[in-house]
Amino acid sequence: MIASKRSSLVLFVHLSVLLLVILWTIPTAGLLISSLRDKDQLAVSGWWTALSTSSQNLTVRAPGPEAQQQRDGKFVISGNVLDNPGAKVSAFGFRTQEPAAFEPGQTATLSDGERLTVQEDGAFEIVSDVAMEGSRGQRIFVQAAVPSRFTFDNYREVLNAEGIGASFINSLTVAIPSTIIPILVAAFAAYALAWMPFPGRTILIAVVVGLLVVPLQMSLIPLLKLYNGVGAFLGLPAKTYVGIWLAHMGFGLPLAIYLLRNYMAGLPREIMESARVDGASDFDIFVKIILPLSFPALASFAIFQFLWTWNDLLIAMVFLGTGNNELVLTGRLVNLLGSRGGNWEILTASAFITIIIPLIVFFSLQRYLVRGLLAGSVKGG
Amino acid sequence: MQQLLMAVITMVAGVLACAAYFYGTNLILDLIFPSKGRSGAKASRNLRISNAIRPWLFLFPALFAMTIYLIYPVFESVWLSFHDRTGQTFVGGANYVWMFNDGEFRQSIFNNFLWLLVVPALATFFGLIIAALTDRIWWGNIAKTLIFMPMAISFVGASVIWKFIYDYRAAGTEQIGLLNAVVTAFGFEPQAWMTIPLWNNFFLMAILVWIQTGFAMVILSAALRGIPEETVEAAVIDGANGFQIFFKIMIPQIWGTIAVVWTTITILVLKVFDIVLAMTNGQWQTQVLANLMFDWMFRGGGDFGRGAAIAVVIMLLVVPIMVWNIRNAAKEMKGH
Amino acid sequence: MRIEVQRFFGRKHVKTKLILGAAALALFAGTASAAELKFKPGEDAKFNWKSYEDFKSGHDLKGQSLTIFGPWRGEDQVLFEAVLDYFRDVTGADVKYSSSENYEQQIVIDTQAGSPPDVAILPQPGLIADLASKGYLTPLSEGTDKWLLDNYAAGQSWVDLSTYAGKDGQKALYAFPYKIDVKSLVWYVPENFEDAGYEVPKTMEELKALTDKIVADGGTPWCIGLGSGGATGWPATDWVEDMMLRTQPADTYDKWVSNAIPFNDPAVVGAIDEFGFFAKNPKYVDGGTQAVSSTDFRDSPKGLFASPPKCYLHHQASFIPSFFPEGTKVGEDADFFYMPPYASKPDLGNPVLGAGTLAMITKDTPASRAFLDFLKTPIAHEVWMAQSSFLTPYKGVNLDTYANAPMKKQGDILLNATTFRFDGSDLMPGKIGAGAFWTAMIDYVGGKPAADVATDIQKSWDSIK
Repeated sequence: MIASKRSSLVLFVHLSVLLLVILWTIPTAGLLISSLRDKDQLAVSGWWTALSTSSQNLTVRAPGPEAQQQRDGKFVISGNVLDNPGAKVSAFGFRTQEPAAFEPGQTATLSDGERLTVQEDGAFEIVSDVAMEGSRGQRIFVQAAVPSRFTFDNYREVLNAEGIGASFINSLTVAIPSTIIPILVAAFAAYALAWMPFPGRTILIAVVVGLLVVPLQMSLIPLLKLYNGVGAFLGLPAKTYVGIWLAHMGFGLPLAIYLLRNYMAGLPREIMESARVDGASDFDIFVKIILPLSFPALASFAIFQFLWTWNDLLIAMVFLGTGNNELVLTGRLVNLLGSRGGNWEILTASAFITIIIPLIVFFSLQRYLVRGLLAGSVKGG
Repeated sequence: MQQLLMAVITMVAGVLACAAYFYGTNLILDLIFPSKGRSGAKASRNLRISNAIRPWLFLFPALFAMTIYLIYPVFESVWLSFHDRTGQTFVGGANYVWMFNDGEFRQSIFNNFLWLLVVPALATFFGLIIAALTDRIWWGNIAKTLIFMPMAISFVGASVIWKFIYDYRAAGTEQIGLLNAVVTAFGFEPQAWMTIPLWNNFFLMAILVWIQTGFAMVILSAALRGIPEETVEAAVIDGANGFQIFFKIMIPQIWGTIAVVWTTITILVLKVFDIVLAMTNGQWQTQVLANLMFDWMFRGGGDFGRGAAIAVVIMLLVVPIMVWNIRNAAKEMKGH
Repeated sequence: MRIEVQRFFGRKHVKTKLILGAAALALFAGTASAAELKFKPGEDAKFNWKSYEDFKSGHDLKGQSLTIFGPWRGEDQVLFEAVLDYFRDVTGADVKYSSSENYEQQIVIDTQAGSPPDVAILPQPGLIADLASKGYLTPLSEGTDKWLLDNYAAGQSWVDLSTYAGKDGQKALYAFPYKIDVKSLVWYVPENFEDAGYEVPKTMEELKALTDKIVADGGTPWCIGLGSGGATGWPATDWVEDMMLRTQPADTYDKWVSNAIPFNDPAVVGAIDEFGFFAKNPKYVDGGTQAVSSTDFRDSPKGLFASPPKCYLHHQASFIPSFFPEGTKVGEDADFFYMPPYASKPDLGNPVLGAGTLAMITKDTPASRAFLDFLKTPIAHEVWMAQSSFLTPYKGVNLDTYANAPMKKQGDILLNATTFRFDGSDLMPGKIGAGAFWTAMIDYVGGKPAADVATDIQKSWDSIK
């Protein structure tokens, strides 16, 4: 009885997680499938239809009269309307207003007396008694069942873009230090706010919370002014990597301190007290006890800070510049979209190219989010 | 490659410099006010002084950076908010008067409150559920990675993703938006989701919930795993079932973290603007404060005064959250 | 400040290894000027090589650098770089072009913070007016206004467009129009017209009759898509402006964009309703009126090419072929005609609505002055014309350099214009032209009466005065 109740509960857990995962993944799955599709199809049919055979209306242009051949005294243009071997024609026509007027195998007589036949496998023939003239080929409209087809063209286009490698390195150069330095600085501050009593501590905590809300856009102009001033004073350029690292650190610190302080405050008081009794200083306690114990929190913040700096466009554009050599990966990909921001096929592919590094970071840090670091200690505080 | 190598070197140098700062200042403090090996009164005096100074040594780099990057711009904003569009002529409270009479501003406040009510609650709720459930199944890590993915997708990518969900095509033609495809499959009329006032706010919120659940999940997952095993084991021995353990044992222990996640997402919602900018740009009555601010700041050369005034309002809205956090921290300290 | 960046990296030794950017830039230094010219000087006689050679004298900029910030990215950027190669070649200057998705925001931040590029190229007169009034722009060399008057078709329109009030309130010529888009175009598929037996309309009356005929034949005449993410609504403003020019004299248009007449003036409301004639009739538009406001403008033209066609007509600017299905040949698979004027209003002539980009000096250096002079040479226009997607009202260029027949046809429309008017929404303050106007058009298509939405816009306009 109890056993069956247990197992039905376990089943319930599995099912609900599965449901949530599906809900959360469907949008991304749509993007993934879209990124593998032909770009003209993206705007025409839903991505889920790409998985199965679909009925499509195609417009094909036959070769022009220069391709005609004489056969049995007649003039013939032939070819195939389908470029996908698994596809099947279900109807065809020669006027766009009636694209499905004829069955495959039937013969349609065009307005100028030419005769058009399209077979089920897509082979077509235009036959005329007199030599065909004109500059353009006949349009043939077919209704065809087309099996799913995927292409890596979109990825190829993105990966072959000029300067993408340099931008990739720029992005790493921005993101790695911008992730690690703030963590270190924040960890010390968080410890002070969590475990070192001093006047004004609660006010400082509140200030940190308050600073979380400062809109980034408000800071850009005053800061760039400051950078320009400092740069001119020192004879250095204003837009440098050091500048952007510090900017990312400044913007990331409130959240880092807030999260880490919360985590550290939850650590058992007894550990620290027993260490103090043993004569350890705050510095020792922090380095030898708090830091290792805070690994899950450090790792989770590192994941987010890396994500933000990696995916950031605004700060990089403002503090690093928009020149060809300064572009980070996001900037490069956005520029690929062209001045009017169309080209969704590029967006879809580049979204997956940019996601790879953050996912690697997530995977490698996820193992630090482990249980049991505190095992054996008594929960306090 | 050379550049990357230099980045690594700089990073190591930066980290070492940080470490050297913390270690060095700490050492100097101990040298100036030694407490070990001194006689009682002097030792305790020195200990008291160094204990008063040390927190500030720990805090200094963080405070310094935050002052430059955040506090200084805050003062700049407040100053700008009392000036005209060029930021040069003092206009007193004119920007604020204008703001409260502006229909778009009131609309934004209303929408922002909707966002504040819905997004933090849902994101935290889902994050908590997922964090708790995935702990109990063998494919939990895979599930977590999939839920985390939206966080990792750049915003440009996310806006395309949702285009493929919310896109609208006329009835009778093939839908390329998933939502309309589902709706039409059930025989209803397709809808232009982004244009339905009030409801469109919720469709936009869904995007942020979709993204932020990953954040809540990671943080809460770390917290759940920090719960000492003994407490759970004890409850199991006492015959508690899964739900009881979750609600009575685990939730209370991570309550602080839940509050932190909630606070963080709430503040993020106050600042939300790229979703709105990319999907509707505040049209069809979906305007929010941060996007309104952005609009006034930069569009067509910008009006810094009004932009800054809206920014000040955004910053003021956080005050209740600050007060609540002060209370929490004070309570916590009493507990210590 | 960008210029300092390059000076620092280019000449001085790198002082500190902490400045990583140094390594990055040094690696790539010198690659820029080595590029090959697209069309060899002197070879193809259709180009005005003399203007190129003449420019050489007095423009030696060796060792100087020039930063240009513009709106062109992707393909357009490649085309513009090809033009810049000629400037590099002839002057020896080190030219760096950059762009940004948020160029509008970027230029505001950069000028405000004191690190502008040397030359900025922007498509929004409203933004330029703002930069000028804050004192971030330098008036162009004397005589430029005269030059525009003499050398650009409908010259006075261009001079007016380029003249702004500076910080001291003094009007001066601050910008130089370079690269124009024609907006008064209607796109169609010639073979679909042939199959159905439709003729290209010559007058607005004929266009309206054709619209009704298509409906009578069981088809849908128009594809209209106003969706554009955060900029949703803008294609409707082009419609209204085009209708404004076809129902009202040009000076009423000017009064409208400067708000000398209120937005809810009957003249404006009338033009909005002219747009509504097409957009608010569910039989006239693909997908019905609900689809109008939510269909993306980039997807909208694809209906022309569907089988069976979802529509026969599409009103959009000259850039739209980039969103046609791959392989579509303009002039053959798809073509355009000039959005016709009313036969009943012959005194309005052939008005043309357009948009374009304007170059201005954001930092006064010999190199930036030289670049603005360079834009006055025919070759700076012809090199881009010969590639693609570039129109110019410059009368001194050889029209044969246009890359293809459709472009030449558009160039003709531009040169034959009796009135040229710049996109009004770009001339209005940003809050109106890129905000209230868009929103109002969405509301209008959604069912609100024209007079109401026009009053809404006027209210927003009053609030920023």
